[in-house]
Amino acid sequence: MSVRRATPAARIGLPVAVAALLLFTLFPVYWMISTALDPKAVTRGSDVLPSGISFEHFTYVFEKGNFGTYLLNSALVGFGTILAAGVLSLFAAIAVARFKFRFRTSVLIMVLIVQMVPLEALVIPLFIQMRDYDMLNSLLGLTIVYVALSLPFAIWTLRGFVQTVPKEVEEAAYIDGASWFRMFRSVLLPLVAPGLVATSIFAFITAWNEFVFAYTFMKGSDKYTAAVGIYQFFGENSTAWGPVMASSTLVTVPVMIFFVIVHRKLGSGLAAGAVKG
Amino acid sequence: MKDTLVEDGPKVTEVRPPATRPEHEAALRKKKLVGLTRPWLLLAPSLLVLAGLLLWPLIQVGKLSLQDYAVKFGGGVGTYTGFDHYTDLLGSELLWKTVLPNTAFFAIACVGLTVALGTLVALLLNRLGPTWRLICSIAILAAWAMPAVTGTYVWIWLFQPQDGMVSQIAGSIGLIDPETTNWFTERGPFYAIATLNVVHHGFPFVAITVLAGLMTIPKELYEAGELDGANAWQRFWKITVPTILPVFLVVTILSTIWDFKVFTQIYLMPGGDGANEEVYNLGVFSYIQAFAKNDYGTGAAAAVLLTLLLLAITIVYIRTLFRQGEEDL
Repeated sequence: MSVRRATPAARIGLPVAVAALLLFTLFPVYWMISTALDPKAVTRGSDVLPSGISFEHFTYVFEKGNFGTYLLNSALVGFGTILAAGVLSLFAAIAVARFKFRFRTSVLIMVLIVQMVPLEALVIPLFIQMRDYDMLNSLLGLTIVYVALSLPFAIWTLRGFVQTVPKEVEEAAYIDGASWFRMFRSVLLPLVAPGLVATSIFAFITAWNEFVFAYTFMKGSDKYTAAVGIYQFFGENSTAWGPVMASSTLVTVPVMIFFVIVHRKLGSGLAAGAVKG
Repeated sequence: MKDTLVEDGPKVTEVRPPATRPEHEAALRKKKLVGLTRPWLLLAPSLLVLAGLLLWPLIQVGKLSLQDYAVKFGGGVGTYTGFDHYTDLLGSELLWKTVLPNTAFFAIACVGLTVALGTLVALLLNRLGPTWRLICSIAILAAWAMPAVTGTYVWIWLFQPQDGMVSQIAGSIGLIDPETTNWFTERGPFYAIATLNVVHHGFPFVAITVLAGLMTIPKELYEAGELDGANAWQRFWKITVPTILPVFLVVTILSTIWDFKVFTQIYLMPGGDGANEEVYNLGVFSYIQAFAKNDYGTGAAAAVLLTLLLLAITIVYIRTLFRQGEEDL
């Protein structure tokens, strides 16, 4: 790549493009956090800098808005989803990536098809079902729904990662006398670990961000997830933007930190997988 | 694949004395059985969950769309009504004038912009040095990590009448009168803001996936292209696009599926929760009919229509995938 000559257009265009990208991606995040910290949030108008720094909106959402409970509920549901979806999708991905069997293509197509199912088609019957079984307002019920929602994409993603593991590595393990499970544990699992991390992120984000089911199923306010809990700060006529942005920050920042921490692993995993393929 | 391994087995042990033959055949049969059942054992838990929570409710919603469902004391009662809900729905002006155009134009705009922007950003990242690529990747991840709910709130806050940043800036340069302008009441501006929101949230996935694809293209191809005198535009369309076409197809499939069923980003916007019929899309319409108006039958019928629409798109794409050969799937 070093041989490529930098034309004048590229020398100006590249920094401009990078600046535009950074502005577009980060400005909403900046605006959210700075409004959350601004004691006069509603009247800040178009001032780029907040009028001051204070944590009063954060204190408000914890003390008056019960937001700690909502965050805990979201975390419980999210980690439950990671555990179940990670294990289930890894098994399924190995099955479709490594074995040739009858109906393999049908299974793949079914995974692709169920992925397109709109939540509105599911929320109506599942709401009626859960109400009949008295399962509304249950975090476990919500977790089970989220496992199902994150599975198709998880299987699809992990399948790609499993395929990039060269078959020769597995064959070498068999020649060394390893059983299938031994090979799975010592060879396949470590090699698809980056893919499993990526998939777990997707599963967690699915659960943490989901709104429709949590909003429809959770009617007792102590069972709200964080994504639904923000809704209460919207008034009939006026909205308390300080608390809304403070609670939005609390929902958003953990996901962002999580993303950035695993970024290197995820990035190298995607790249390594792609190069190997 | 595993099959070849199973068949390779006997060759390795061929040198054994003939006395062990029957045992060996039994072992071979066992191996074959394992090869036959193992994929299904691995798949079973996922298939059970998907069948119970995705397929079964789909059948239920289909049945529900043929009923008048009312909540009575102690439970729901359904009365069979045949295809009444569908004829009512397909004869309604609201569906043809508002709901379907909103859904379709919004999805097409979102998919086009998401894939175009995502590809441009991937090409940009591919040209950057390691430091700037890392910085930009983190910024992209930040946009990606932004939950739909909170992202929607931020965009509402930015475009809020009177107090919002964009309203104030547009007012101060004389574009609008901030006292009287409300962008959320008309469907054009309403959906423009929703598109901005969805593209901001959706392009990082495309960018990162396409970048992973770009990194697999051998540099020699580009060097050969350059020697042949192809400019950057030609190199993109003649080398990049054909080489990673499967990647483009997958991101377009997924974006289309996601953008046709956008719900949260519309429902949470002012007027999106049913107050303003102008801005209904199919998903919101279905949800409001069922849960706000307690008309579960019509809600279910609209949900079935949305599902069929997505099914049609999905089938087109699956056929496209198949044309690339089964190995790709």
